This record gives sequence, structure tokens and C-alpha cells, in this order.
Amino acid sequence: MKEYDAVVIGGGPAGMAAAEVLGDQVKTLILDENDMLGGQLVKQTHKFFGDHAHYASTRGFEIANKFIDKIEKKPVDILTSSTVIGIYPQNTVAYVKDGHEDQVKYKKLIIATGAMERQLPFINSDLPGVYGAGAVQTLMNQYGIFPGKRFLIIGSGNIGLILAYQLAQTGVEVRAIVEALDKIGGYEVHANKAKRLGIPIFLKHTIIKAIGDESVQGAVIAEVDDKFNVIAGTEKEIVADTICISVGLMPITELAEQAKCKIVYIPELGGYVPVHDERMRTTNPDVFVAGDLSSIEEATTAMIEGKLAAMQIVEDVKKTDLEKEISNEIKTLAIFRSGPKSLKIRSGLEKMGIVTPQIEVPKFSPLPNSENGKLHAIIECTEEIPCNSCELACKFDAIKVGENINTPPVFDPLKCTGCAVCVTACPGLAIFMEKLDESPNATLGIPYEFLPLPKSNEKMWGMDRDGNYVCDLTVKRVVKNSNKTHIVYVELPKEFVDVVRHVTYPQKESPFVCRCEEITVDQIEKVIDSGITDFEEIKRITRVTMGPCGGKNCKMITLGIISRKTGIPISKLSHGTSRPPVKPVEFSAFLRGDKK
Amino acid sequence: MMKHASVVVIGGGIVGSAIAFNLLRMGTKNVCVIEKSYVSSGSTGRCAGGIRQQWSSPMNVKLAMRSVKLFEEFEKDVGMDIEYYQGGYLLLAYTDSEVDDFEKNVRMQKSQGLDVEILTPNQIKEKFPFINVEGIKLGSWCQSDGHANPQLANIAYAIAIRKMGGEFLTHTTVTGIDVQNGQITGVQTDNGYINTEIVVDAAGFESPKIGSMIGVDIPVHGERHQILVTEAVNHFLDPLVINFNHNYYVRQTHHGSLMMGQGDANPASGEDLGNTIEFLEEMSEKMIKDFPLLKNIHIIRQWSGAYDMSPDAQPIIDESKDISRFIYATGFSGHGFMLAPAVGESVAEMIIHGRTITTDVSNLKMDRFTIGIEREHNVV
Repeated sequence: MKEYDAVVIGGGPAGMAAAEVLGDQVKTLILDENDMLGGQLVKQTHKFFGDHAHYASTRGFEIANKFIDKIEKKPVDILTSSTVIGIYPQNTVAYVKDGHEDQVKYKKLIIATGAMERQLPFINSDLPGVYGAGAVQTLMNQYGIFPGKRFLIIGSGNIGLILAYQLAQTGVEVRAIVEALDKIGGYEVHANKAKRLGIPIFLKHTIIKAIGDESVQGAVIAEVDDKFNVIAGTEKEIVADTICISVGLMPITELAEQAKCKIVYIPELGGYVPVHDERMRTTNPDVFVAGDLSSIEEATTAMIEGKLAAMQIVEDVKKTDLEKEISNEIKTLAIFRSGPKSLKIRSGLEKMGIVTPQIEVPKFSPLPNSENGKLHAIIECTEEIPCNSCELACKFDAIKVGENINTPPVFDPLKCTGCAVCVTACPGLAIFMEKLDESPNATLGIPYEFLPLPKSNEKMWGMDRDGNYVCDLTVKRVVKNSNKTHIVYVELPKEFVDVVRHVTYPQKESPFVCRCEEITVDQIEKVIDSGITDFEEIKRITRVTMGPCGGKNCKMITLGIISRKTGIPISKLSHGTSRPPVKPVEFSAFLRGDKK
Repeated sequence: MMKHASVVVIGGGIVGSAIAFNLLRMGTKNVCVIEKSYVSSGSTGRCAGGIRQQWSSPMNVKLAMRSVKLFEEFEKDVGMDIEYYQGGYLLLAYTDSEVDDFEKNVRMQKSQGLDVEILTPNQIKEKFPFINVEGIKLGSWCQSDGHANPQLANIAYAIAIRKMGGEFLTHTTVTGIDVQNGQITGVQTDNGYINTEIVVDAAGFESPKIGSMIGVDIPVHGERHQILVTEAVNHFLDPLVINFNHNYYVRQTHHGSLMMGQGDANPASGEDLGNTIEFLEEMSEKMIKDFPLLKNIHIIRQWSGAYDMSPDAQPIIDESKDISRFIYATGFSGHGFMLAPAVGESVAEMIIHGRTITTDVSNLKMDRFTIGIEREHNVV
């Protein structure tokens, strides 16, 4: 029986990072049940957050490829398509490859088996067409197979948000993302990427049942109260042929259990997890864990954990002193976990006895007013998430994140040269380019990851942050980039430079200008074509801006259409009068008896 | 902008538009309407759009009945669907004196040929189960009353006027009227000069300003009235309901929203088109009491408009004794929209033929104020 200093089970980011460290230090084997290493990374087509050492702003499958390259150059034994079936006494790992069982022995073992998707009980959840989000990503991104045409996504964690964006990139329809909590689970920038494509996110909603006889044809969703009880009467039907469940992950702990590691239930970390110390050693001194098995987190933290475990094993086996490196990695991990999005993880780890010093995240200082007249970046990243891709991308010192990568970037427009490298680097697609000068039109650069790429002089639609039509615009130029985040520069009326965040090809159906009253661009243009160009008269004929929202969104869009059709700049158009109440108020609110 | 107009109508609201429309329809060429803002920017665009025939003087009833005839033909005649709906008017009486008035009015209205009837509280409850009938003594009900969208009607006239070759100038302000030897020679605007011998003052509450340019005194003043609209709900309210006692009217628009207003206790001047929070408070209290089902309906917008009040709350339609061919149609006191089609017809006839043919409006002449006036009671 072959014996290794170190055996790594699982070839995802944690396992690969471990194997990379172990490779030229001790005799190492890495096992994975898939036909290639990479774990979940191979199905991720989006750019990752993080810092440079951990492949920030590199796409998931590319991270996997880089790792594989490195590991293959090292004296590491790699067994793919090998399913570990059990951990046995005398440090024995049993696995099945090509239909045959075999065994290896280890001095030290790293279990990095990751996590599996949680399921959600609802009526008809057994209908064909109900998938885990990961399965859909595998089918789509690894094998190019589409399980459906109209998708409904349950869960707004990063996986649900990313899946929604990836699905939309392929051109299929994402009907909605449904989230039971009152806020989006994943990163704001990921949510924004989906929202600007027009994908609605229903907060405080859950799925009640799938509709269909042979396969999914739709779903019933409904609002939930604070205790997640369905509120009767709020049910709505959504037409969809595929329902993707992404309501969270839970660690796969079986092998750790069999390796005599103590397992505890810590919901903050994902449920049952093996107890481990900050160097990833479990209660069994020969066994380490890393990645989602130890706590449900990011690929980046998984990599650091894998490294940590590997370093400790090298210390154990070779008796070399790696204390300095280990404490560096512990610090890096702590920085990653110091942001508000990691609060749960920190408190979960504390229950295990691992105290993560909460590194003070400097208060986000608002971006200074940008300079007019020159092309410069606009950074819309306000959430404290662990990433400094933009700082690394900027060669001119115009973007500062600082030592704690959870700090939102601070931008100095005076130093910005307009090179736009940050736009293509940002994994959150949260950086745009802008040029405002004396002319009534502005230039806007938008990160674009769709095919076909627009061409210069093409007419497109400008869409807002919620994916609603704003105005017609013209593509000025398209800057292609090898990392597939291209930049589309468009010319549009000045007034909309802060509103438009996505461009799309004009659709056959006329887009809604006013969603309250369901007024389309066509309807407004028809009135203008009939000779009526006064905003007030158009309003009275079409009812645009007369709905419950009071024209908050549609007024500017309407003025934009008038301006485009008549050639009169928006600033010269009359724009009506704001009338109270600015938000709808019930009659009962004015009852004197009801007042305090 | 035309250099010479046969008639210049000052004021592009519903009254001025209806007059110009009828002039053109009767064959007059070179009619010019001058509107200082956009179409329906004034009282027309701010009004609730009720159309009723239940008035307290016979001539008002006749004029309103003629208007209803013309509203029935509006889409065919003018060319636009203006959401005209004959859902009726329900007037509610709470006091003995109201009961007396209503019964007297209904007798008179019937004698004029109007199909109108008295409803008992039980009949009201049966017909409109959502109305709280507490305290109601009776109702006066006319099915052929109704409502329409005044903004669309105003715009429809403007479009038709332009189509028929008339000129409808917007964002143009009259700055002066030239008179020589008691004859009008032209109208000065901030966009140019128009030669004309005939001027119609249809400037609503601002008609005195126009009159004063040539020394004609028009006893009209602007009085602010507030109004609000709710979110759209499923259709449930056929009639426009007027409650003089509780001081409000309410109607449901074609779109589904509820539009309602009251007469403020101390109304502001028509120059002040602001809004008050008290209005929302007072309306809310009344609505929740009389229409309990509206309790949780949302108010989405409030605004105000000016009634062009005359001394007896009745229109003034006449030609000046001092300035030849200076005609005024003003002082509609909150019911200009509903009378406009008939008034437009009558004034056009006055201009072309020197007298009205279809409907007699002689009781609306200016000299009634020197002879003695009787105020119209049925006004909110």
C-alpha cells in the first residue's frame, strides 16, 4: 500500500492550495472524484474578489487552470475520478477509481470535501425542472447544456446572484430571484449586476410550490412575515420552466467524522462542522480540514485555509520552522474576515475557540466630486467586502484600498488618467468611465460581458440600475479586453450619465417608460409625432408620470424622449410641478383620532 | 403666427377652445386662440370633470342639457375619446331646507324635460351599498349626468382647431389690445401682433385682467379650490356624488382613481395655487365616514385650481356695450367644463349671427348685476 506524508481529499480551491504548498516539501497525494481538479471553480465564469495573491479579478475556471498548471509541475501525485469511500483505522484512505477499490496510507490528512447545496421543501419540489443552483452551473458552464429557457432562482446569496447573471449572459430569461430575508444575501455588486439586467429580486418572499404535471411550468411565490410564515393573499404565479434552489450550502462532514474528528453544530458556519484550531487541525492531530467543510465561505478563504493546513503539516512532518509564514496567513485570513459580511463566520469561529480580531474597517469616505471635462472612472463600490482588485489595477495611484482589503476604495479623480484598466479588473463590474464637458451629451464607459459585442455607431438602449429603459444611445467605441470584460463607450444625454448602467440591444417590444401606468416609449413617441411636444400635454394624454410614484423614474425618461425627438435640450424643457404627497398616503393616516 | 385673425380668443381653456372650435365648425376662417401656457394648464386641467344638469335655475338646466347632448356626440364631433361616462350624479340632502330645495329643484328640472328623481335613503343604500347613509334624508339622482376627462377634452379641442385650420398658440401671453374709436384693431402678444376686430375674453379668473386692458370691468375673481386623487381601484362608483352638507364631491375616473374636492372654509385667492395639509385631513375624515371602504386607499396627489367666481356664481356671457365686438365668456364659478360645449356653440352663434340660436343664454348677461341677482345655490 502506498504511503504518503500528506493526503489531500478534494481538489477544490482549498485542496489545490494545500497541494501547491505541500508539493515540493513532502510526499503528497491529492484525490478528487471529478475528472479534473478545480472543484467548484471550474464552473465559475465570473471574476473573483480578493487580493492579488489569491487571484483577484481572475475568473473561476482560470484560477483552477492556473492551480492545475502549478500543481502538475510539482512532484504531487494526482488521482482524479477517484471517489474516497471511507477513512479507516491505521490512517487508511479507501477510494474507488475506474471501478476498482484501492487504498493509501497517510501521515497527515487534509479533508477538503467542500459542501453540498441545501434543499428547500415546497410542494412539487420533485418535479423535473427543479435544480440545485450548482447543478445548473455545471450543466451550463462546464457542459454547455441548458436545462430550460425561463429560470426562477430561489435564494439571493452570491451563488444565486451569480447564477442569475451567468444565465442572463447566455441569453435565457431569468424571471426573478426570490429571497426570504429582508435583504439581499450576497454582495451588493453581484446583486447590482443582476438588477441592471432587469432581473427583479423579491425580498421577504418564498416559493410555495412548483406548478406543472410532467415538468415545471411555473411557481407560486408569496410574501413571508418576519417569522417566515407565508402571508395569505400575497401569492403570485411566475411562469418558469426551471427553478434553481440556492438557499445555502452545508459542509460534507462524513469523512471527517470517520477520521474521528469531533463534529459540532454551529449554524453560523453552515451546520455540522469539524472542530478545528486556527491552523485547521481537527481534534484528531493527524487530520486537518480546509475550505467549505470547515466553514461555508469564499474560495479565497478556502485557499488560505488550505495553505495554513499544508504549512502546519510541513512543520509537523519536516520539523521546519514555518511560524512566521503561518502567522502571516492567519493574519491574512483575519483581514479577509474582518468585514461586516463575515460577522456570522467570526461569531461561528468564536464558538469553536478561534477568535478573529476584528480589524477596524476605516469608514468609507464618499467619492469626491469628479472632475469635469476629462474621461475618468466612477467607482460604485460602497459595501465592505474583501477585495482590492481596483487598487492593484490602477498604476497611477488613483485608487486606494489600503491594508485591510475590506475597505471600500477611495478614488482620486485628479490622478485618474482614464486608462480604464480598473473597469475591466473589477469583479463586481462596479466601475464605469465618464466624461462630461460643455456639450449636451456625455460619454459613459460600461463594463460589458455579453455577446455579440456592440459595434461603433450602433444604436442601443441605455438601461438603469434596475434594468429599466432610460434612453436611446449611440455606441462610440468598444474596447476589447483579453479577460472578457470589455468596455462599451456610449454617447448619451448628460442627464442620464448617472442613471444608465447597462446597455442592451433594442427589443421588438417597446420598453416601459412609466411602470405605474404601463406607458411605453412608443406611446410617447406617437404623441410627439402627432405634434404635441409639451411635457405637460404628453403627460395628460398618456398618463405618464401620473401614477402612484409621482413620476420619480419616468419623468426624466420622458423628458429625454422629448429632447431626442425635438432636439431641445432637457434643461430647456418645462418639467411639470411636484405635488404632495410625494409618496402615497392612506386616508386613514390623516384621521385626527389616529394621531399620536 | 397669423398676421390677421377674424376672431382672437384669449384663453385656451375649455371655454375658449369650445368657442374657437364652434366658430371653425360654423365656417369661420382664421380663428386664433392664445393660451399663455400649455393646453389645459389652467382651471380646466385642474377641475374634476363633472357634467351635471341638476341646477337650480331653468336656464342653467337648459344650457347643461344642451351640453350633455354635445358631450354625447363629442368623440364623433371633436375626434377624441375623452372618457365620457354617464354614470349619473347623486346629490345628498341632510337637512330640511336641503330637502325643500331638492324637491323644488327636481320639480323644476322635470318641467325642463330632465329625467331626474328623488331617492329615499333606502333606495340610495340599495343602489350604492358602500355609501354610509346615516343622516341622509334623501337624494336627487339623474342618470344622464356624468363626467369626462377635462384635460383630454381640452387637448381634443386644440387638436381639432389646428386640424380645421385654426391657430392655437401656446406659451403666448396677451400684453395689450388696441382699440380705436371703440373698435378693436389688434392684439399684442409677447410673440407678435395679430390684427383683428373681434376678441373673445375667455381667460377664466384672469378675464378681468384682459378686460382692464381696454377699460371693461368684469366682476370676476379667482377663488382657490383644492382637489386630490387616489390610486386606481376597481370600478365601484358610477355617479359623481355631491354632498353639500358635508361639503365635498367625489367621482371615480375612467382610470380607476378617485378624484374629490371641497370648498375651503376661507378659500385662498386664485392667484395662490398652493396646497394645504388641512385639506387632506378634512377630506380624509369625510371620506372615511361617508365611504368607509376607502379607509386604506392611498392618496397620490393633491393640487388646486381657481374658480372664476362671479357675484351670483353664474356665468357671464355677453358682448361689451362700450367696446364693439369684445365678447366675454367667464365667471363660470366652478362649472365651466360641463357647460363649455353649449357655451362654445352659443358664443359662436353670437359672433356669427349676432344672437344665440340653439340655446338661450340671455339670463347670463352682464346687466343682471345692475337689475338684481339671484345666486346659484348648487355649488360646492
